[in-house]
Amino acid sequence: MFRTPDGGEIFVIDAHVHLWDGSPENQANQYGTGWINCFYDYHRNLSPREAIWPIEKFRKYTPQQMVHDLFVEGYVDIGIFQPTYLKEFFRSGFNTTEQNAVLKEMYPDRFILNGAWDPRDGERGLEYLEFLASRYHIKGVKLYTAEWRGDSKGWRLTDPWAIRYLEKCRQLGITNIHVHKGPTVWPLNKDAFDVHDVDEVATAFPDLNFIVDHCGLPRLEDFCWIATQEKNVYGGLAVVMPFVHARPRYFAEVMAELLWWVGEDRLLFGSDYAIWTPRWIIEKFMAFELPEDLREETGVDLTLAAKKKILGENAARLYGIDIAAHRARLQGDAVAAMMA
Amino acid sequence: MRVEEVYARLQQVYDPELDRPVTDLGFISGVDVDGPVVRVRFRLPTYWCSPNFAYIMAEDIRDRVRELPWVSEVQVRLEDHFAADEVNAGVATGRPFGAAFSGLADGNLEDLRWLFRLKAFLARQERLVRLLIRRGLSDDEIVAMCVADLRRLAESDAEAGDLVDRYLGICREMGLEDLPTAPAFTRENGLLLNPAQLRDVLREARRTRISMEFNAQFCQGLLRTRYGSAEPETVQPR
Repeated sequence: MFRTPDGGEIFVIDAHVHLWDGSPENQANQYGTGWINCFYDYHRNLSPREAIWPIEKFRKYTPQQMVHDLFVEGYVDIGIFQPTYLKEFFRSGFNTTEQNAVLKEMYPDRFILNGAWDPRDGERGLEYLEFLASRYHIKGVKLYTAEWRGDSKGWRLTDPWAIRYLEKCRQLGITNIHVHKGPTVWPLNKDAFDVHDVDEVATAFPDLNFIVDHCGLPRLEDFCWIATQEKNVYGGLAVVMPFVHARPRYFAEVMAELLWWVGEDRLLFGSDYAIWTPRWIIEKFMAFELPEDLREETGVDLTLAAKKKILGENAARLYGIDIAAHRARLQGDAVAAMMA
Repeated sequence: MRVEEVYARLQQVYDPELDRPVTDLGFISGVDVDGPVVRVRFRLPTYWCSPNFAYIMAEDIRDRVRELPWVSEVQVRLEDHFAADEVNAGVATGRPFGAAFSGLADGNLEDLRWLFRLKAFLARQERLVRLLIRRGLSDDEIVAMCVADLRRLAESDAEAGDLVDRYLGICREMGLEDLPTAPAFTRENGLLLNPAQLRDVLREARRTRISMEFNAQFCQGLLRTRYGSAEPETVQPR
Protein backbone atom coordinates (compact mmCIF):
# COMPACT_ATOMS: atom_id res chain seq x y z
CA MET A 1 0.00 0.00 0.00
CA PHE A 2 1.38 3.34 -1.01
CA ARG A 3 0.05 6.39 0.81
CA THR A 4 -0.04 9.70 -1.03
CA PRO A 5 0.83 12.87 0.92
CA ASP A 6 -2.88 13.71 1.20
CA GLY A 7 -3.71 10.33 2.71
CA GLY A 8 -4.89 8.49 -0.42
CA GLU A 9 -4.16 4.75 -0.48
CA ILE A 10 -2.89 2.99 -3.58
CA PHE A 11 -3.10 -0.78 -3.82
CA VAL A 12 0.06 -2.11 -5.44
CA ILE A 13 0.42 -5.31 -7.45
CA ASP A 14 3.95 -5.98 -8.60
CA ALA A 15 3.25 -8.02 -11.72
CA HIS A 16 6.82 -9.21 -12.24
CA VAL A 17 8.79 -10.78 -9.39
CA HIS A 18 11.18 -13.73 -9.07
CA LEU A 19 12.68 -15.94 -6.40
CA TRP A 20 15.73 -17.28 -8.19
CA ASP A 21 18.82 -19.33 -7.45
CA GLY A 22 21.81 -18.14 -9.49
CA SER A 23 24.39 -19.43 -7.00
CA PRO A 24 27.63 -21.01 -8.31
CA GLU A 25 26.43 -24.41 -6.97
CA ASN A 26 23.35 -24.19 -9.17
CA GLN A 27 25.10 -22.87 -12.31
CA ALA A 28 25.45 -25.71 -14.80
CA ASN A 29 27.87 -24.06 -17.25
CA GLN A 30 29.31 -20.75 -18.45
CA TYR A 31 25.90 -19.75 -19.78
CA GLY A 32 24.45 -19.85 -16.27
CA THR A 33 27.34 -17.68 -15.09
CA GLY A 34 26.81 -15.34 -18.04
CA TRP A 35 23.10 -15.17 -17.27
CA ILE A 36 23.32 -14.07 -13.64
CA ASN A 37 26.22 -11.71 -14.37
CA CYS A 38 24.16 -10.03 -17.07
CA PHE A 39 21.26 -9.61 -14.60
CA TYR A 40 23.67 -8.14 -12.09
CA ASP A 41 24.85 -5.59 -14.66
CA TYR A 42 21.20 -4.61 -15.24
CA HIS A 43 20.82 -4.23 -11.50
CA ARG A 44 23.95 -2.09 -11.06
CA ASN A 45 23.33 -0.04 -14.17
CA LEU A 46 19.92 1.36 -13.28
CA SER A 47 19.60 1.15 -9.48
CA PRO A 48 20.31 4.14 -7.27
CA ARG A 49 23.64 3.64 -5.51
CA GLU A 50 22.10 2.90 -2.12
CA ALA A 51 19.93 0.12 -3.58
CA ILE A 52 22.82 -1.92 -5.07
CA TRP A 53 23.44 -5.35 -3.59
CA PRO A 54 26.70 -7.30 -3.36
CA ILE A 55 26.92 -10.02 -6.04
CA GLU A 56 26.77 -12.87 -3.51
CA LYS A 57 23.41 -11.69 -2.18
CA PHE A 58 22.15 -11.03 -5.72
CA ARG A 59 22.92 -14.56 -6.89
CA LYS A 60 20.75 -16.12 -4.20
CA TYR A 61 18.58 -14.32 -1.66
CA THR A 62 16.28 -15.73 0.95
CA PRO A 63 12.48 -15.86 0.84
CA GLN A 64 12.50 -13.66 3.96
CA GLN A 65 14.56 -11.04 2.15
CA MET A 66 12.04 -11.00 -0.65
CA VAL A 67 9.07 -10.60 1.70
CA HIS A 68 10.87 -7.74 3.41
CA ASP A 69 11.80 -5.94 0.17
CA LEU A 70 8.39 -6.27 -1.46
CA PHE A 71 5.89 -5.88 1.36
CA VAL A 72 7.57 -4.44 4.43
CA GLU A 73 9.77 -1.89 2.63
CA GLY A 74 8.43 -1.78 -0.88
CA TYR A 75 4.70 -0.78 -0.69
CA VAL A 76 3.70 -3.93 -2.59
CA ASP A 77 0.45 -5.71 -1.61
CA ILE A 78 0.61 -8.64 -4.01
CA GLY A 79 3.52 -9.99 -6.04
CA ILE A 80 3.01 -12.04 -9.21
CA PHE A 81 5.71 -14.66 -9.80
CA GLN A 82 6.96 -14.96 -13.36
CA PRO A 83 9.07 -18.12 -13.57
CA THR A 84 12.11 -18.56 -15.81
CA TYR A 85 13.11 -22.21 -15.82
CA LEU A 86 16.43 -22.19 -17.76
CA LYS A 87 17.19 -25.79 -16.91
CA GLU A 88 20.01 -25.90 -19.47
CA PHE A 89 21.88 -23.18 -17.58
CA PHE A 90 21.01 -24.00 -13.95
CA ARG A 91 21.01 -27.49 -12.45
CA SER A 92 17.70 -27.30 -10.62
CA GLY A 93 16.31 -24.46 -12.72
CA PHE A 94 16.79 -20.72 -12.25
CA ASN A 95 13.37 -19.64 -11.07
CA THR A 96 10.72 -22.35 -11.36
CA THR A 97 7.09 -22.46 -10.26
CA GLU A 98 8.08 -25.04 -7.64
CA GLN A 99 10.78 -22.73 -6.22
CA ASN A 100 8.31 -19.82 -6.14
CA ALA A 101 5.63 -21.99 -4.52
CA VAL A 102 7.60 -22.00 -1.25
CA LEU A 103 6.55 -18.40 -0.69
CA LYS A 104 3.04 -18.87 -2.02
CA GLU A 105 2.49 -21.55 0.60
CA MET A 106 3.84 -19.34 3.38
CA TYR A 107 1.91 -16.21 2.34
CA PRO A 108 -1.03 -17.33 0.20
CA ASP A 109 -2.70 -13.91 -0.08
CA ARG A 110 0.52 -12.09 -0.90
CA PHE A 111 1.58 -13.96 -4.00
CA ILE A 112 0.12 -15.10 -7.29
CA LEU A 113 1.89 -18.06 -8.79
CA ASN A 114 2.30 -18.36 -12.54
CA GLY A 115 3.44 -21.36 -14.51
CA ALA A 116 5.49 -21.71 -17.67
CA TRP A 117 5.56 -23.94 -20.72
CA ASP A 118 7.72 -24.64 -23.69
CA PRO A 119 6.16 -26.08 -26.86
CA ARG A 120 9.31 -28.14 -27.52
CA ASP A 121 8.31 -30.35 -24.58
CA GLY A 122 5.45 -31.80 -26.65
CA GLU A 123 2.90 -34.08 -24.95
CA ARG A 124 4.94 -34.32 -21.76
CA GLY A 125 4.79 -30.54 -21.35
CA LEU A 126 1.02 -30.51 -21.81
CA GLU A 127 0.76 -32.96 -18.94
CA TYR A 128 3.02 -30.77 -16.83
CA LEU A 129 0.79 -27.80 -17.58
CA GLU A 130 -2.21 -29.79 -16.37
CA PHE A 131 -0.27 -30.65 -13.24
CA LEU A 132 0.55 -26.97 -12.60
CA ALA A 133 -3.10 -26.04 -13.06
CA SER A 134 -4.41 -28.69 -10.68
CA ARG A 135 -1.65 -28.37 -8.09
CA TYR A 136 -1.29 -24.57 -7.98
CA HIS A 137 -4.48 -23.26 -9.65
CA ILE A 138 -2.44 -20.96 -11.85
CA LYS A 139 -4.18 -18.18 -13.81
CA GLY A 140 -1.18 -17.20 -15.87
CA VAL A 141 2.00 -18.38 -17.53
CA LYS A 142 5.29 -16.73 -18.35
CA LEU A 143 6.67 -17.69 -21.73
CA TYR A 144 10.30 -17.21 -22.58
CA THR A 145 10.63 -17.69 -26.32
CA ALA A 146 14.41 -17.22 -26.24
CA GLU A 147 15.08 -20.23 -24.02
CA TRP A 148 17.67 -22.72 -25.29
CA ARG A 149 16.85 -26.39 -25.61
CA GLY A 150 19.64 -28.55 -27.02
CA ASP A 151 20.41 -27.24 -30.49
CA SER A 152 17.34 -25.03 -30.54
CA LYS A 153 17.86 -21.42 -29.52
CA GLY A 154 14.22 -20.37 -29.28
CA TRP A 155 10.69 -20.69 -30.60
CA ARG A 156 7.69 -18.66 -31.74
CA LEU A 157 4.16 -18.35 -30.42
CA THR A 158 2.83 -19.34 -33.83
CA ASP A 159 4.59 -22.73 -33.86
CA PRO A 160 2.00 -25.53 -34.20
CA TRP A 161 2.84 -26.94 -30.78
CA ALA A 162 2.63 -23.48 -29.19
CA ILE A 163 -0.92 -23.20 -30.55
CA ARG A 164 -1.77 -26.51 -28.86
CA TYR A 165 -0.43 -25.16 -25.57
CA LEU A 166 -2.48 -21.98 -25.93
CA GLU A 167 -5.56 -24.10 -26.56
CA LYS A 168 -4.74 -26.05 -23.41
CA CYS A 169 -4.43 -22.78 -21.45
CA ARG A 170 -7.87 -21.72 -22.66
CA GLN A 171 -9.29 -25.09 -21.61
CA LEU A 172 -7.68 -24.88 -18.14
CA GLY A 173 -8.78 -21.29 -17.51
CA ILE A 174 -5.23 -19.94 -17.70
CA THR A 175 -6.01 -16.59 -19.26
CA ASN A 176 -2.92 -14.44 -18.72
CA ILE A 177 -0.10 -15.16 -21.13
CA HIS A 178 3.02 -13.16 -20.24
CA VAL A 179 5.52 -13.13 -23.08
CA HIS A 180 9.15 -12.20 -22.78
CA LYS A 181 11.22 -11.60 -25.88
CA GLY A 182 14.94 -12.14 -25.55
CA PRO A 183 17.79 -11.71 -27.96
CA THR A 184 18.48 -15.28 -29.10
CA VAL A 185 15.48 -16.71 -30.87
CA TRP A 186 15.39 -18.98 -33.85
CA PRO A 187 15.93 -18.26 -36.66
CA LEU A 188 18.97 -16.19 -35.76
CA ASN A 189 19.08 -14.25 -39.00
CA LYS A 190 15.76 -12.58 -38.18
CA ASP A 191 15.15 -9.82 -35.68
CA ALA A 192 15.08 -11.81 -32.46
CA PHE A 193 12.93 -9.27 -30.62
CA ASP A 194 10.25 -9.37 -33.26
CA VAL A 195 6.81 -9.29 -31.60
CA HIS A 196 4.66 -10.06 -34.63
CA ASP A 197 3.92 -13.59 -33.47
CA VAL A 198 2.10 -11.99 -30.52
CA ASP A 199 -0.12 -10.20 -33.04
CA GLU A 200 -1.14 -13.44 -34.72
CA VAL A 201 -1.99 -15.36 -31.57
CA ALA A 202 -3.73 -12.37 -29.97
CA THR A 203 -6.12 -12.37 -32.94
CA ALA A 204 -6.56 -16.15 -32.81
CA PHE A 205 -7.16 -16.20 -29.03
CA PRO A 206 -9.28 -13.12 -28.24
CA ASP A 207 -10.28 -14.63 -24.87
CA LEU A 208 -6.67 -14.77 -23.64
CA ASN A 209 -4.71 -11.73 -22.45
CA PHE A 210 -1.20 -11.28 -23.81
CA ILE A 211 1.07 -9.24 -21.58
CA VAL A 212 4.24 -8.32 -23.43
CA ASP A 213 6.91 -7.85 -20.80
CA HIS A 214 9.21 -4.91 -21.20
CA CYS A 215 6.68 -3.53 -23.74
CA GLY A 216 8.56 -5.15 -26.55
CA LEU A 217 11.57 -2.90 -25.99
CA PRO A 218 13.69 -2.44 -27.99
CA ARG A 219 10.86 -2.76 -30.50
CA LEU A 220 8.49 -0.24 -29.00
CA GLU A 221 7.09 0.81 -32.37
CA ASP A 222 6.06 -2.74 -33.31
CA PHE A 223 4.61 -3.35 -29.88
CA CYS A 224 2.59 -0.11 -29.93
CA TRP A 225 1.22 -0.98 -33.33
CA ILE A 226 0.11 -4.43 -32.21
CA ALA A 227 -1.36 -3.17 -28.95
CA THR A 228 -3.38 -0.62 -30.91
CA GLN A 229 -4.79 -3.36 -33.14
CA GLU A 230 -5.40 -6.02 -30.49
CA LYS A 231 -7.41 -5.08 -27.44
CA ASN A 232 -6.17 -8.13 -25.51
CA VAL A 233 -2.52 -7.06 -25.64
CA TYR A 234 -1.02 -5.42 -22.56
CA GLY A 235 2.34 -3.89 -21.74
CA GLY A 236 4.38 -5.09 -18.76
CA LEU A 237 6.55 -2.24 -17.50
CA ALA A 238 9.37 -4.31 -15.98
CA VAL A 239 12.73 -2.88 -17.18
CA VAL A 240 10.94 0.28 -18.35
CA MET A 241 10.21 1.45 -14.78
CA PRO A 242 13.76 1.86 -13.43
CA PHE A 243 14.53 4.42 -16.13
CA VAL A 244 12.40 6.79 -14.04
CA HIS A 245 15.50 7.27 -11.92
CA ALA A 246 18.47 6.89 -14.26
CA ARG A 247 17.05 8.46 -17.44
CA PRO A 248 13.91 10.41 -16.57
CA ARG A 249 13.60 12.16 -19.94
CA TYR A 250 13.62 8.86 -21.83
CA PHE A 251 11.22 7.39 -19.33
CA ALA A 252 8.91 10.31 -20.03
CA GLU A 253 9.12 9.84 -23.79
CA VAL A 254 8.42 6.13 -23.56
CA MET A 255 5.52 6.62 -21.13
CA ALA A 256 4.01 9.30 -23.37
CA GLU A 257 4.12 6.91 -26.33
CA LEU A 258 2.68 4.04 -24.33
CA LEU A 259 -0.12 6.17 -22.92
CA TRP A 260 -0.97 7.45 -26.37
CA TRP A 261 -0.87 4.14 -28.22
CA VAL A 262 -1.69 1.54 -25.60
CA GLY A 263 -3.50 3.59 -22.95
CA GLU A 264 -3.53 3.67 -19.17
CA ASP A 265 -5.89 0.68 -18.90
CA ARG A 266 -3.43 -1.78 -20.41
CA LEU A 267 -0.11 -1.12 -18.67
CA LEU A 268 1.13 -3.16 -15.70
CA PHE A 269 3.73 -2.19 -13.13
CA GLY A 270 6.53 -4.70 -12.52
CA SER A 271 9.79 -4.28 -10.62
CA ASP A 272 11.46 -7.40 -12.04
CA TYR A 273 12.57 -8.13 -8.47
CA ALA A 274 15.36 -8.89 -7.60
CA ILE A 275 16.86 -7.12 -10.60
CA TRP A 276 15.38 -4.02 -9.02
CA THR A 277 13.67 -3.47 -5.68
CA PRO A 278 10.23 -1.86 -5.75
CA ARG A 279 10.55 0.76 -3.01
CA TRP A 280 12.54 3.36 -4.91
CA ILE A 281 10.81 2.66 -8.21
CA ILE A 282 7.38 3.28 -6.71
CA GLU A 283 8.46 6.40 -4.82
CA LYS A 284 10.02 7.91 -7.93
CA PHE A 285 7.13 6.86 -10.15
CA MET A 286 4.59 8.46 -7.81
CA ALA A 287 6.63 11.68 -7.74
CA PHE A 288 7.07 11.69 -11.52
CA GLU A 289 5.13 13.93 -13.87
CA LEU A 290 5.17 14.05 -17.64
CA PRO A 291 7.02 17.17 -18.80
CA GLU A 292 4.81 19.87 -20.26
CA ASP A 293 6.21 19.71 -23.80
CA LEU A 294 5.34 16.02 -24.07
CA ARG A 295 1.89 16.56 -22.58
CA GLU A 296 1.21 19.27 -25.13
CA GLU A 297 2.56 17.35 -28.07
CA THR A 298 0.91 14.02 -27.35
CA GLY A 299 -2.18 15.17 -25.46
CA VAL A 300 -1.72 12.46 -22.81
CA ASP A 301 -0.96 12.76 -19.12
CA LEU A 302 0.20 10.50 -16.34
CA THR A 303 -2.49 11.42 -13.84
CA LEU A 304 -2.98 10.01 -10.35
CA ALA A 305 -5.83 7.89 -11.72
CA ALA A 306 -3.50 6.51 -14.42
CA LYS A 307 -0.82 5.73 -11.85
CA LYS A 308 -3.34 3.82 -9.72
CA LYS A 309 -4.36 1.73 -12.69
CA ILE A 310 -0.77 0.98 -13.65
CA LEU A 311 0.33 0.18 -10.11
CA GLY A 312 -2.48 -2.21 -9.28
CA GLU A 313 -5.97 -1.88 -10.75
CA ASN A 314 -5.12 -3.24 -14.19
CA ALA A 315 -3.40 -6.36 -12.83
CA ALA A 316 -6.26 -6.84 -10.35
CA ARG A 317 -8.71 -6.93 -13.25
CA LEU A 318 -6.64 -9.48 -15.18
CA TYR A 319 -6.23 -11.76 -12.17
CA GLY A 320 -9.78 -11.39 -10.80
CA ILE A 321 -8.80 -9.65 -7.58
CA ASP A 322 -11.41 -7.62 -5.70
CA ILE A 323 -9.15 -4.92 -4.25
CA ALA A 324 -11.39 -3.90 -1.33
CA ALA A 325 -11.99 -7.48 -0.20
CA HIS A 326 -8.34 -8.42 -0.65
CA ARG A 327 -7.14 -5.38 1.26
CA ALA A 328 -9.33 -6.40 4.19
CA ARG A 329 -7.89 -9.93 4.12
CA LEU A 330 -4.32 -8.69 4.11
CA GLN A 331 -4.84 -6.68 7.27
CA GLY A 332 -4.72 -9.79 9.39
CA ASP A 333 -1.94 -11.75 7.70
CA ALA A 334 1.60 -12.56 8.84
CA VAL A 335 3.15 -9.76 6.80
CA ALA A 336 0.81 -7.19 8.35
CA ALA A 337 2.05 -8.37 11.73
CA MET A 338 5.66 -7.79 10.62
CA MET A 339 4.83 -4.26 9.56
CA ALA A 340 2.97 -3.37 12.75
CA MET B 1 49.40 7.15 -37.85
CA ARG B 2 48.05 3.85 -39.08
CA VAL B 3 46.03 3.19 -35.92
CA GLU B 4 44.27 6.50 -36.45
CA GLU B 5 43.50 5.55 -40.03
CA VAL B 6 41.92 2.36 -38.75
CA TYR B 7 39.83 4.31 -36.24
CA ALA B 8 38.68 6.63 -38.99
CA ARG B 9 37.42 3.57 -40.90
CA LEU B 10 35.76 2.18 -37.77
CA GLN B 11 33.89 5.47 -37.47
CA GLN B 12 31.95 4.22 -40.53
CA VAL B 13 30.80 1.04 -38.77
CA TYR B 14 27.42 1.44 -37.12
CA ASP B 15 25.64 -0.64 -34.56
CA PRO B 16 22.68 -1.55 -36.78
CA GLU B 17 20.20 -1.46 -33.94
CA LEU B 18 21.30 1.79 -32.33
CA ASP B 19 22.36 3.57 -35.56
CA ARG B 20 25.49 4.94 -33.95
CA PRO B 21 29.19 4.36 -34.77
CA VAL B 22 30.79 1.54 -32.79
CA THR B 23 33.60 3.93 -31.89
CA ASP B 24 31.20 6.38 -30.19
CA LEU B 25 29.54 3.51 -28.34
CA GLY B 26 32.84 2.32 -26.87
CA PHE B 27 32.54 -1.12 -28.49
CA ILE B 28 36.11 -1.14 -29.85
CA SER B 29 38.38 -2.44 -27.12
CA GLY B 30 41.65 -2.40 -29.03
CA VAL B 31 43.37 -1.97 -32.40
CA ASP B 32 46.80 -3.47 -33.18
CA VAL B 33 48.66 -2.86 -36.39
CA ASP B 34 51.39 -5.28 -37.39
CA GLY B 35 52.65 -4.33 -40.85
CA PRO B 36 49.78 -4.98 -43.25
CA VAL B 37 47.83 -7.01 -40.66
CA VAL B 38 45.24 -5.25 -38.49
CA ARG B 39 43.70 -6.80 -35.43
CA VAL B 40 40.48 -5.23 -34.09
CA ARG B 41 38.98 -6.37 -30.80
CA PHE B 42 35.41 -5.45 -29.94
CA ARG B 43 32.99 -6.08 -27.10
CA LEU B 44 29.28 -5.61 -26.50
CA PRO B 45 27.17 -4.47 -23.55
CA THR B 46 26.02 -7.98 -22.58
CA TYR B 47 27.01 -11.60 -22.96
CA TRP B 48 23.64 -12.13 -24.68
CA CYS B 49 23.60 -9.37 -27.28
CA SER B 50 22.10 -10.76 -30.48
CA PRO B 51 24.65 -12.75 -32.49
CA ASN B 52 23.12 -11.50 -35.73
CA PHE B 53 23.87 -7.86 -34.84
CA ALA B 54 27.33 -8.87 -33.64
CA TYR B 55 27.93 -10.57 -36.99
CA ILE B 56 26.84 -7.53 -38.97
CA MET B 57 29.25 -5.35 -36.99
CA ALA B 58 32.12 -7.85 -37.29
CA GLU B 59 31.66 -8.07 -41.06
CA ASP B 60 31.50 -4.30 -41.40
CA ILE B 61 34.62 -3.86 -39.28
CA ARG B 62 36.47 -6.30 -41.53
CA ASP B 63 35.22 -4.72 -44.75
CA ARG B 64 35.70 -1.05 -43.80
CA VAL B 65 39.23 -1.61 -42.47
CA ARG B 66 40.19 -3.71 -45.48
CA GLU B 67 39.43 -0.73 -47.71
CA LEU B 68 42.66 0.91 -46.50
CA PRO B 69 45.22 0.44 -49.30
CA TRP B 70 48.02 -0.81 -47.01
CA VAL B 71 45.92 -3.47 -45.27
CA SER B 72 46.18 -7.06 -46.44
CA GLU B 73 44.45 -8.84 -43.57
CA VAL B 74 41.94 -7.88 -40.88
CA GLN B 75 41.44 -10.10 -37.85
CA VAL B 76 38.26 -9.32 -35.96
CA ARG B 77 37.86 -10.60 -32.41
CA LEU B 78 34.55 -10.39 -30.57
CA GLU B 79 35.23 -10.79 -26.83
CA ASP B 80 33.15 -11.99 -23.83
CA HIS B 81 30.15 -13.15 -25.83
CA PHE B 82 28.29 -16.47 -25.83
CA ALA B 83 28.66 -16.83 -29.60
CA ALA B 84 32.16 -15.31 -29.91
CA ASP B 85 33.71 -18.47 -31.41
CA GLU B 86 31.12 -18.79 -34.17
CA VAL B 87 31.22 -15.08 -35.00
CA ASN B 88 35.03 -14.88 -35.07
CA ALA B 89 35.50 -18.03 -37.11
CA GLY B 90 32.70 -17.14 -39.54
CA VAL B 91 33.95 -13.63 -40.22
CA ALA B 92 37.57 -14.80 -40.53
CA THR B 93 36.72 -17.31 -43.24
CA GLY B 94 34.31 -14.96 -44.98
CA ARG B 95 31.41 -17.33 -44.54
CA PRO B 96 27.92 -15.85 -44.71
CA PHE B 97 25.98 -15.80 -41.45
CA GLY B 98 23.69 -18.66 -42.46
CA ALA B 99 26.71 -20.95 -42.84
CA ALA B 100 28.42 -19.80 -39.65
CA PHE B 101 25.24 -20.58 -37.69
CA SER B 102 24.05 -23.47 -39.75
CA GLY B 103 20.85 -24.99 -38.45
CA LEU B 104 20.07 -21.87 -36.40
CA ALA B 105 19.41 -19.51 -39.26
CA ASP B 106 17.36 -20.11 -42.37
CA GLY B 107 19.04 -17.47 -44.45
CA ASN B 108 21.45 -14.59 -44.37
CA LEU B 109 21.33 -11.15 -42.84
CA GLU B 110 20.24 -9.08 -45.81
CA ASP B 111 16.62 -8.66 -44.67
CA LEU B 112 17.78 -7.65 -41.23
CA ARG B 113 20.26 -5.16 -42.64
CA TRP B 114 17.48 -3.70 -44.75
CA LEU B 115 15.15 -3.43 -41.75
CA PHE B 116 17.72 -1.53 -39.73
CA ARG B 117 18.59 0.74 -42.63
CA LEU B 118 14.90 1.59 -42.85
CA LYS B 119 14.72 2.35 -39.14
CA ALA B 120 17.82 4.51 -39.36
CA PHE B 121 16.28 6.38 -42.30
CA LEU B 122 13.04 7.06 -40.39
CA ALA B 123 14.85 8.17 -37.24
CA ARG B 124 17.35 10.43 -39.03
CA GLN B 125 14.60 11.99 -41.14
CA GLU B 126 12.52 12.66 -38.05
CA ARG B 127 15.37 14.33 -36.18
CA LEU B 128 16.15 16.58 -39.10
CA VAL B 129 12.53 17.55 -39.76
CA ARG B 130 11.97 18.36 -36.09
CA LEU B 131 15.01 20.61 -36.14
CA LEU B 132 13.61 22.42 -39.20
CA ILE B 133 10.31 22.90 -37.36
CA ARG B 134 12.23 24.35 -34.41
CA ARG B 135 14.03 26.67 -36.82
CA GLY B 136 10.61 28.06 -37.77
CA LEU B 137 9.92 26.38 -41.12
CA SER B 138 6.30 25.51 -41.96
CA ASP B 139 5.22 22.03 -43.02
CA ASP B 140 4.70 23.33 -46.56
CA GLU B 141 8.18 24.82 -46.69
CA ILE B 142 9.78 21.63 -45.37
CA VAL B 143 8.06 19.37 -47.87
CA ALA B 144 9.01 21.75 -50.72
CA MET B 145 12.75 21.58 -49.91
CA CYS B 146 15.21 19.95 -52.30
CA VAL B 147 18.57 18.32 -51.57
CA ALA B 148 20.43 21.52 -52.52
CA ASP B 149 18.43 23.44 -49.89
CA LEU B 150 19.57 20.97 -47.23
CA ARG B 151 23.19 21.32 -48.31
CA ARG B 152 22.96 25.12 -48.18
CA LEU B 153 21.42 24.95 -44.71
CA ALA B 154 24.19 22.59 -43.58
CA GLU B 155 26.82 25.18 -44.45
CA SER B 156 25.37 27.88 -42.23
CA ASP B 157 24.01 25.83 -39.31
CA ALA B 158 26.36 23.41 -37.53
CA GLU B 159 23.68 21.44 -35.69
CA ALA B 160 21.71 21.03 -38.90
CA GLY B 161 24.90 20.16 -40.77
CA ASP B 162 25.50 17.05 -38.75
CA LEU B 163 21.90 15.86 -39.13
CA VAL B 164 21.91 16.65 -42.87
CA ASP B 165 25.11 14.65 -43.43
CA ARG B 166 23.72 11.66 -41.61
CA TYR B 167 20.34 11.92 -43.33
CA LEU B 168 21.75 12.23 -46.85
CA GLY B 169 24.15 9.39 -46.07
CA ILE B 170 21.32 7.02 -45.26
CA CYS B 171 19.32 8.26 -48.29
CA ARG B 172 22.23 7.21 -50.49
CA GLU B 173 22.40 3.82 -48.80
CA MET B 174 18.65 3.43 -49.37
CA GLY B 175 19.20 4.15 -53.05
CA LEU B 176 17.18 7.38 -52.94
CA GLU B 177 17.81 10.18 -55.40
CA ASP B 178 20.30 12.75 -54.12
CA LEU B 179 20.65 15.06 -57.12
CA PRO B 180 20.55 18.72 -55.99
CA THR B 181 17.06 19.18 -57.44
CA ALA B 182 15.64 15.97 -55.91
CA PRO B 183 13.05 16.46 -53.14
CA ALA B 184 14.72 16.44 -49.72
CA PHE B 185 12.03 14.46 -47.91
CA THR B 186 10.31 11.42 -49.36
CA ARG B 187 9.01 8.15 -48.00
CA GLU B 188 11.52 5.32 -47.77
CA ASN B 189 10.44 4.07 -51.20
CA GLY B 190 10.99 7.47 -52.83
CA LEU B 191 7.28 8.42 -52.93
CA LEU B 192 6.65 12.12 -52.47
CA LEU B 193 5.23 13.43 -49.22
CA ASN B 194 2.43 15.92 -49.12
CA PRO B 195 2.40 18.54 -46.37
CA ALA B 196 -0.74 17.10 -44.76
CA GLN B 197 1.06 13.78 -44.15
CA LEU B 198 4.11 15.24 -42.50
CA ARG B 199 2.82 15.14 -38.92
CA ASP B 200 1.69 11.50 -39.22
CA VAL B 201 5.08 10.54 -40.63
CA LEU B 202 6.76 12.29 -37.71
CA ARG B 203 4.57 10.58 -35.15
CA GLU B 204 5.32 7.15 -36.59
CA ALA B 205 9.02 7.81 -36.89
CA ARG B 206 9.14 9.11 -33.36
CA ARG B 207 8.43 5.65 -31.94
CA THR B 208 11.25 4.19 -34.01
CA ARG B 209 13.62 6.90 -32.84
CA ILE B 210 12.60 6.55 -29.18
CA SER B 211 13.15 2.78 -29.30
CA MET B 212 16.62 3.29 -30.68
CA GLU B 213 17.53 6.02 -28.22
CA PHE B 214 16.06 4.21 -25.24
CA ASN B 215 18.04 1.17 -26.18
CA ALA B 216 21.19 3.19 -26.77
CA GLN B 217 20.90 4.59 -23.26
CA PHE B 218 20.47 1.10 -21.85
CA CYS B 219 23.32 -0.39 -23.87
CA GLN B 220 25.83 2.33 -23.07
CA GLY B 221 25.00 2.16 -19.39
CA LEU B 222 25.43 -1.60 -19.46
CA LEU B 223 28.74 -1.37 -21.25
CA ARG B 224 29.98 1.07 -18.60
CA THR B 225 28.70 -1.20 -15.85
CA ARG B 226 30.33 -4.25 -17.41
CA TYR B 227 33.70 -2.77 -18.24
CA GLY B 228 33.96 0.17 -15.89
CA SER B 229 34.36 2.72 -18.65
CA ALA B 230 33.13 3.14 -22.20
CA GLU B 231 36.53 4.45 -23.25
CA PRO B 232 38.59 2.05 -25.36
CA GLU B 233 42.14 1.17 -24.25
CA THR B 234 43.75 2.71 -27.26
CA VAL B 235 43.44 6.47 -27.38
CA GLN B 236 40.76 7.38 -29.82
CA PRO B 237 41.69 10.14 -32.24
CA ARG B 238 39.48 13.23 -32.21
